[in-house]
Amino acid sequence: MPAHPLARFFDHVDDVTAEIARREAGGVAHPAAVDDEIAVCHPKQLDLVVAEVITETATTKTFRLRRATGELLPPFQAGQYISLRLQIDGVRTSRAFSVSSSPTERRHYDLTVRRVPGGCVSNHLLDTITPGDRLVSSGPIGTFHYNPLFHGEDLVFLAGGSGVTPAMSMIREVVNRGLPRTLHLVYGSRRADDIIFRAELDQIARGCPEITVDHVISEPDADWSGPTGFLSAAVVERLAGPLRGRMTYVCGPPAMYAYQLRQLDRMGHPRRRVRLEANGIALPAGEDHDWPADVDPTAEVTVAVRGRGAFRTPRNRALLDALEDNGFQLEASCRSGECSMCRVRVVRGSVFTAAEARLRTSDRDFGFTHSCAAYPVTDVEVDF
Amino acid sequence: MSDDYDAIVIGAGNAGLSSAATLQRGGRRTLLLERHNIPGGAATSFVRGRFEFEVSLHQLGGMGNGPLRQVLDQLDVTRRLKFLEERDLYRTVVPGVLDITLPADWQGVADAIEDSFPGNRARVESFLELCQEVGSWQLVARASLHQPQEQAAWLRGLPRVRRNGLRPAKEVLDEYFDDDRIKHVLASYWSYNGQPPSTLPFMDLARILTLYLEYKPYHLRGGSQAMSSAMLDSFLEAGGDVRFDSNVAEIRTRQGTVVGVRLDNGDEYDARMVVSNASAVTTYTRMLDPTVVPDSVLRDLRSRKLGISGTITYLGLDATARELGFTAGTNMITSELAENTVRDSMHSLDPTPYVVASCYDVDPIGFAPPRASHVAIFSVQYGRVWDTLAPEDYARAKYAYAQSQLDLVEVISPGLRDVIEEAEVATPHTLRRYLGHPGGAIYGFDQDITDSWLFRDADLKPNVPGLFLLSAWTTAGGYNPTIVTAARFSQRLLQL
Ligand SMILES: Cc1cc2nc3c(=O)[nH]c(=O)nc-3n(C[C@H](O)[C@H](O)[C@H](O)COP(=O)(O)OP(=O)(O)OC[C@H]3O[C@@H](n4cnc5c(N)ncnc54)[C@H](O)[C@@H]3O)c2cc1C
Ligand SMILES: Cc1cc2nc3c(=O)[nH]c(=O)nc-3n(C[C@H](O)[C@H](O)[C@H](O)COP(=O)(O)OP(=O)(O)OC[C@H]3O[C@@H](n4cnc5c(N)ncnc54)[C@H](O)[C@@H]3O)c2cc1C
Ligand code: FES
Repeated sequence: MPAHPLARFFDHVDDVTAEIARREAGGVAHPAAVDDEIAVCHPKQLDLVVAEVITETATTKTFRLRRATGELLPPFQAGQYISLRLQIDGVRTSRAFSVSSSPTERRHYDLTVRRVPGGCVSNHLLDTITPGDRLVSSGPIGTFHYNPLFHGEDLVFLAGGSGVTPAMSMIREVVNRGLPRTLHLVYGSRRADDIIFRAELDQIARGCPEITVDHVISEPDADWSGPTGFLSAAVVERLAGPLRGRMTYVCGPPAMYAYQLRQLDRMGHPRRRVRLEANGIALPAGEDHDWPADVDPTAEVTVAVRGRGAFRTPRNRALLDALEDNGFQLEASCRSGECSMCRVRVVRGSVFTAAEARLRTSDRDFGFTHSCAAYPVTDVEVDF
Repeated sequence: MSDDYDAIVIGAGNAGLSSAATLQRGGRRTLLLERHNIPGGAATSFVRGRFEFEVSLHQLGGMGNGPLRQVLDQLDVTRRLKFLEERDLYRTVVPGVLDITLPADWQGVADAIEDSFPGNRARVESFLELCQEVGSWQLVARASLHQPQEQAAWLRGLPRVRRNGLRPAKEVLDEYFDDDRIKHVLASYWSYNGQPPSTLPFMDLARILTLYLEYKPYHLRGGSQAMSSAMLDSFLEAGGDVRFDSNVAEIRTRQGTVVGVRLDNGDEYDARMVVSNASAVTTYTRMLDPTVVPDSVLRDLRSRKLGISGTITYLGLDATARELGFTAGTNMITSELAENTVRDSMHSLDPTPYVVASCYDVDPIGFAPPRASHVAIFSVQYGRVWDTLAPEDYARAKYAYAQSQLDLVEVISPGLRDVIEEAEVATPHTLRRYLGHPGGAIYGFDQDITDSWLFRDADLKPNVPGLFLLSAWTTAGGYNPTIVTAARFSQRLLQL
């Protein structure tokens, strides 16, 4: 390699050029298949096949998914989710589902799905998917998982409805690995026959001193003798004991969070000892009290995509949904404002961004938003 | 899809953004393609709970009236940002051995060292004088490659630069000082280059010290992501096009000359000039038809080593910087003075003996909520060592390593663990995933003396007609070098 003309002015220049010549003679090629290396833990896409469909309750099924290639699935941390990519009635969309199986099992992922009245994806899955069907998803992602750096060994999990799925994975891991960690699950359901995983949870709790499970029923019938109501401060304190800094996980329907945080506040539990799973946008645009008062949330506006067309959509349809409805595809994963995958630039017009959106400071300053949590207030133009 | 552009830039890292903005503002229709969904490469941030986290920027060098400031002015970027000058260079701690804070000022450094290690003032002052001479020379010379005559004449008159430039920093420090503690303190910036003192070129230590002492270290409101977004803004305002989630799989050539690119989804774009911000290894060995890559390039690649990566633990803490005991933004903590311990640790997953702990709330950049703070703990590591793990052991290994980083930081911040509200650990695998670079290298190739631009200027020449490489792989790693070199080089491309 010819050195720069300035190099020869330096003392020791010959040592350096000799060293370079030596390395040129003895060097080896560098690994450059970076995308393949990344795919081991973070595949761009998982091709899955439905191995089994297990009915859990009248409204809930578990889909047991294997890799179509027969290989092991990527490792994940209990509590993480995958995002299913689907095409339903001609619309391409995606939904996040926590893996409910144990991370020690890499031959399959279980997704446990409850029917959401009117929901397009959950109904599609429950009503049409049968063993042998193919599905496509992202790799495992999400930040709602145990972190040994600060979670400690004494944990509480407050779950509502299908929010028990990540707890199930965490509990199964504690049992399978024999971890020195206690977990107390306080699990709220509407009715006793709505409780997902009831038999397995109760069996684990009987056999495993690390795991405690309490069911709380909000609409009990005459047969129910256990605790009732919501997971109020009093109920949690009575069942789980004083929280005293124990890491407390909360997962359930979006509407549960504001209530649950108030209860934890009331118990004097510091916010840094609470982990919330992102789970959709709690308040639809228009019902949020920050929504501009004089703006009709149901009226239509025009959304233009820079250089690629435009369409009309109601203001209270999240931009991501509206874009998908109209045939535009963009990356999305959590659909809860958290992961930033669905980030778009608002070139013109104004949008309302829900509080769930975890925007970067600079995104706010430079006109970017998370389209899954943003609603068009005026006619807008976006770019992505 | 076909579109006519004058230039296509692959990658929106520092160098890619700086190049794209320069080309577009210079009247070239430019398309910027980035595989991630956000600009910046390493110059980015992410959000967890109430906190935003700075991914890479410890200290911005070259602001003040330095080279970076000039480039950001030219690109119309400065006015879009708020820069925060830091008071201190760094605090260096070896538990039980030394604990000293150097202010960001030539004279202040000499005073602080004299306070802690009396009787060394004269040596420190003459060492710093040498650093300033060599550092200033390097900053100017690197930018003036196209004026060899003037440069040669100037260098002839700088005997101390010629004598010391190529020596290892350790050798020069040994010549000036007897006390190992002083050498340790003055070489603290070794990690910003990635070579411990015995292989760190003195020229580079001098350049880094000059960059921060002459032009001061800075933080940025909104973090490095704000600067990336501001560069993108300037590019877009000038009429540039950007596409995110666009992974370039191939640089297309016809009869050996660049004609455009192809994405991994099959989309094609045409342009006669392509600038790659992707790694030199990927660009030459994965993106191009092997028959168009000259042998000399492959020989050059083989003679290089993949540079350092690192493991970083990002913490959101429910306490103020003062409550935590952070008095300086940048804290270099090493368990002992011996260099070998640190050097070995760069190839090992054993508990780390070395961290840089940056607290972004001594001069708050606005990422932590009130009464809380944001700290990033960085340890230099080669990516290879993480490849030895089975995938299912990865998570456990990264938390174990992070625990050892926390142990060291607790030396200056006892009780830090009790107030953790958010914690994320990024390893060389994480950096590889987000930057696309082999080994997760963050400064390009290993920056020992053989990597110097004095010996490796070939990368900035078009080895394949129409293709130019601009990144930490072709210039020194870091913000100032990548942004400044890319802008200056792209200025010259405008003359073509
Ligand atoms: C990280 C994460 C993990 C999750 N894990 C699980 C899990 O393990 N199990 C689980 O069951 N769920 C899980 N969820 C939630 C899951 O994604 C939701 O259950 C899912 O969105 C339900 O899908 P859906 O398509 O039925 O409802 P969606 O289509 O998302 O509908 C949500 C609501 O909007 C209304 N709606 C839908 N379409 C329309 C329309 N066209 N017009 C007007 N209103 C409409 C529906 O009535 C419904 O109330 C998780 C979510 C996240 C973010
Ligand atoms: C933890 C850490 C701390 C650091 N601290 C400092 C500091 O304090 N001061 C300092 O000056 N420097 C620091 N650095 C170094 C500095 O951040 C980097 O050297 C610099 O940002 C590299 O810039 P680059 O232009 O080479 O591009 P990179 O940041 O490496 O970006 C390359 C871009 O190209 C994109 N790309 C790659 N392949 C493709 C493809 N095929 N198609 C499309 N896009 C592609 C990538 O996604 C990425 O956006 C630090 C780095 C790290 C990681
Ligand atoms: S899809 Fe995750 S933030 Fe929108």
